[in-house]
Amino acid sequence: MKGVLCKAIDAGVKSGAEYVEVRAQKLFTTMLTIKEDRVEAAKHGIEEGTAIRVLVKGSWGFASIGAPNTETLIEAVLDSCKMAKAASSRLKDPIRLDETKAVEDKVVLNPRKHPSEISIEDKIRTTLDMSNAAMAYDGRVRNCTVDYLDLSGTNFFMNNAGTYIEQDKLYVWSRVAATASEAGVFTFSREEIGSTAGYEVFDVEDPKKVGETVAKRAVEQLSAKPPRGGVFPVILGPRVVGTFAHEAFGHLAEADLTLSGSVLVDKLGKKIASDAVTLYDDGTIADAFGSFKYDDEGIPAQKTQLIRDGVVVSLMHNLETAHKFNVKPTGNARAEDFRVEPIIRMRNTFLEPKDYCFEDLIEGIRFGYYLRSVRGGQANVDGTFQVGIEEAYEIVDGELGKSLRDVSISGNTLDTLLKVDAVGKDLELSPGRCGKGQTAFVCDGGPHIRVKEMLVGGSA
Amino acid sequence: MVAPSREELLDLSENAISFALKKGADEAEAIAYRGSTTSIGIERGQIAKTSRTVDLGLGIRTIIGKAVGFAYTNILGSRTAIEDAILKSLSSARASKPDKEWQGLPAKRSFASVENVYDKRIVELESEDLVKIASVMLDAAIATDSRANPVEGGVNASCSSVAVANSNGVVGFELGTIVECGLVTVGNDAGDVTPVCFEFNSERSFDIDPEWVGKEAARLAVSALKAKNVETKTCKVIFTQTALQELLYFTLINAVRADFVQRDQSVFKGKIGEKLASETITINDDGLLDGGLRTSRFDAEGVPQQRTPIMEKGILRGFIYDNYTAKKEGKESTGNAARMWYLSTPTVEATNFHILGGNRSPEKLVDEVDDGLIVYLLQGAHSSNPASGDFSVVATPAWKIEKGEVVYAAKNVMLVGNVFQMLKNVMALANNERKLSQLVAPWMLVENVKVIGK
Repeated sequence: MKGVLCKAIDAGVKSGAEYVEVRAQKLFTTMLTIKEDRVEAAKHGIEEGTAIRVLVKGSWGFASIGAPNTETLIEAVLDSCKMAKAASSRLKDPIRLDETKAVEDKVVLNPRKHPSEISIEDKIRTTLDMSNAAMAYDGRVRNCTVDYLDLSGTNFFMNNAGTYIEQDKLYVWSRVAATASEAGVFTFSREEIGSTAGYEVFDVEDPKKVGETVAKRAVEQLSAKPPRGGVFPVILGPRVVGTFAHEAFGHLAEADLTLSGSVLVDKLGKKIASDAVTLYDDGTIADAFGSFKYDDEGIPAQKTQLIRDGVVVSLMHNLETAHKFNVKPTGNARAEDFRVEPIIRMRNTFLEPKDYCFEDLIEGIRFGYYLRSVRGGQANVDGTFQVGIEEAYEIVDGELGKSLRDVSISGNTLDTLLKVDAVGKDLELSPGRCGKGQTAFVCDGGPHIRVKEMLVGGSA
Repeated sequence: MVAPSREELLDLSENAISFALKKGADEAEAIAYRGSTTSIGIERGQIAKTSRTVDLGLGIRTIIGKAVGFAYTNILGSRTAIEDAILKSLSSARASKPDKEWQGLPAKRSFASVENVYDKRIVELESEDLVKIASVMLDAAIATDSRANPVEGGVNASCSSVAVANSNGVVGFELGTIVECGLVTVGNDAGDVTPVCFEFNSERSFDIDPEWVGKEAARLAVSALKAKNVETKTCKVIFTQTALQELLYFTLINAVRADFVQRDQSVFKGKIGEKLASETITINDDGLLDGGLRTSRFDAEGVPQQRTPIMEKGILRGFIYDNYTAKKEGKESTGNAARMWYLSTPTVEATNFHILGGNRSPEKLVDEVDDGLIVYLLQGAHSSNPASGDFSVVATPAWKIEKGEVVYAAKNVMLVGNVFQMLKNVMALANNERKLSQLVAPWMLVENVKVIGK
């Protein structure tokens, strides 16, 4: 592989590219979809492909081809150089990159249970266990879908700075989603499992328990009431904190989006959050779903502090934005596969725990809400966000009250960060998938936190 | 771009089926796909990148004793690799559990004809041509107003060819093209930052207007400046197509999918023939729509696409089916199987979900609003309750309408309600139908929408 990639790099350099990178992949996937007690299909994928990126006269050229040979690969390199030249004709501000240090490395993963060594029968059993447990939990659980994916393979990365990295990839992921209904009320709940450790994730996450958790949450919401809308103090559980850290803040701190005019554009070094807020994006947590050793520009992953005691101290960078901000890249350039180019993505994003226990957080609240798990969230570069909540409870006189459904919270990220007045001492990370034109496997999380005021919306 | 060969893809699929049958499959289906896309990317106000991707692969579904297996590969240069993938599909079928509801792959039926799904001019576009289109769009935006920042966008030209065949004698081959240009803008005036605004064109024929897209994207961003809070009240709201797409995708469109109905996930279950929406609403799922983005002679299982009535003057008429869900009810598939080409097995999806336009101009629609909003994008629609249709979303960008005039941009606006209830409150539809992914729809005027302001 190395020899072929060398030839491709040489071809790019000879046709005038300032920067050339080639990323070849061999990938193997197993996928299952279970609907109730039915295996919809057991699926396998085998693929090879190469992504090429060149910078010519300050303009990017990218090409992706499946299963290449030396000849088609070199052709694609020349083609992308030609296309980049065409695009550069209108360039006012040529793109430059941070100069990278050459790295040679081979990253071999040795999980205890490699998914390729687990039989498909075993995987079907595990996923059926989740679905059957959910369906058996209560007659009001109407359906349950379990998706399963394992992906393994090797990345071969080379650039013209002399970097050559062979890196194994390994992901095991599953999602259980159930709907419950009764008397015209529909509720929905889901849970995700994700790990870069291997199939041993199912030794930690008992499939039956996961199924039951999903079913229980859906059923409990049936008797829950929509909340009273308005501005209230809230306690956010780790999952909600994670979604907030990722969606509402994280995306704003992806340097490409910051440069596109996100509200953080002039906030670097400034205080945007209460003193209690310290936030990281960390690619180095062992086994976590968003971890890896090198990103898709060959930069080592690191633990990047984004907010320290309320002050924005860093953004997340790739080679291009690092040069623009005159800082070092943070190892956040990721590509879903060889079909797409690397872009700035989060890894494991979390709020740092402090010293409150749950009882201290809830104590002083006369009326408010405890928001425990999420359906999803979305944010805009202007700093507005919305997070949909699955599991929520009223707080009355410092005690948890009745459960609520169809709650959502919204507001402005920066206003909200300033209103975080207490941060718990627990920490929980949850795996998920983030979409930004392409999918990245990530984690997010944090401790329980208290926010003085939050706009809570319910049903009509 | 090299035009893909029909014979190449058909041979691949038919050979795969023969091999699978020889190796013990009761039934087999193959999908061979080749897609190529050339793109120009705009980043931070300038054309900064270009790309070309070519994706070619084969997916094979095999059935043994009512158990379904599937495998795909993109390593098509070697016969062994292809055969390995087919054997993988067979071994997963053997490992899987029989599905008692399985009643066979689709039978052969004849395809209707479709118009305007392929344009040779799109196939012939070179990156230089796309640079020109992107420049026209960008220049138009910049010339419109300096406070509008064209933050990102681009031009894509793609061509796909797909062959589907199965062991019942189904054989289909289709060529298609899409060209699109779009621009995302953010208004910025002395620290006043607007939400993201967006305009686009997306067509099967080489018939896009990049200048209009650029101007319109810039106009939206500038008019989103100086946003004001609005008060909490129940009022009339106009939803543009981009807002409708977000609101309806996980709710109304899912509610008419047969798999959702069969699995008790749809509020429409058992309600065919009932009046569930305002008289203004007529919807077809139109797989044959002239120039539609999802138009094709056949679906991802080789079943003929068709026009399926969903709602007629507010009365629910039918659901959309793929082969599996249709046979479960003893019906014919409506040609609504979709898949990520060779990478996945089929799922039920809308083709062109066509909400028929009314007879008023969009200006006339605005004119009918004394006090309300016009909403372009929604945040949080995907975290609404998809089954019940309850939503609680942020409307951004949105504008206030007073006495029939759009007067200022509105901020901190949430809309709260229920999609299915909302359909009963639709007062009128404009005559400005547009294509947006699966949705073909006009602007929609709805009364009694709860707006939560600040």
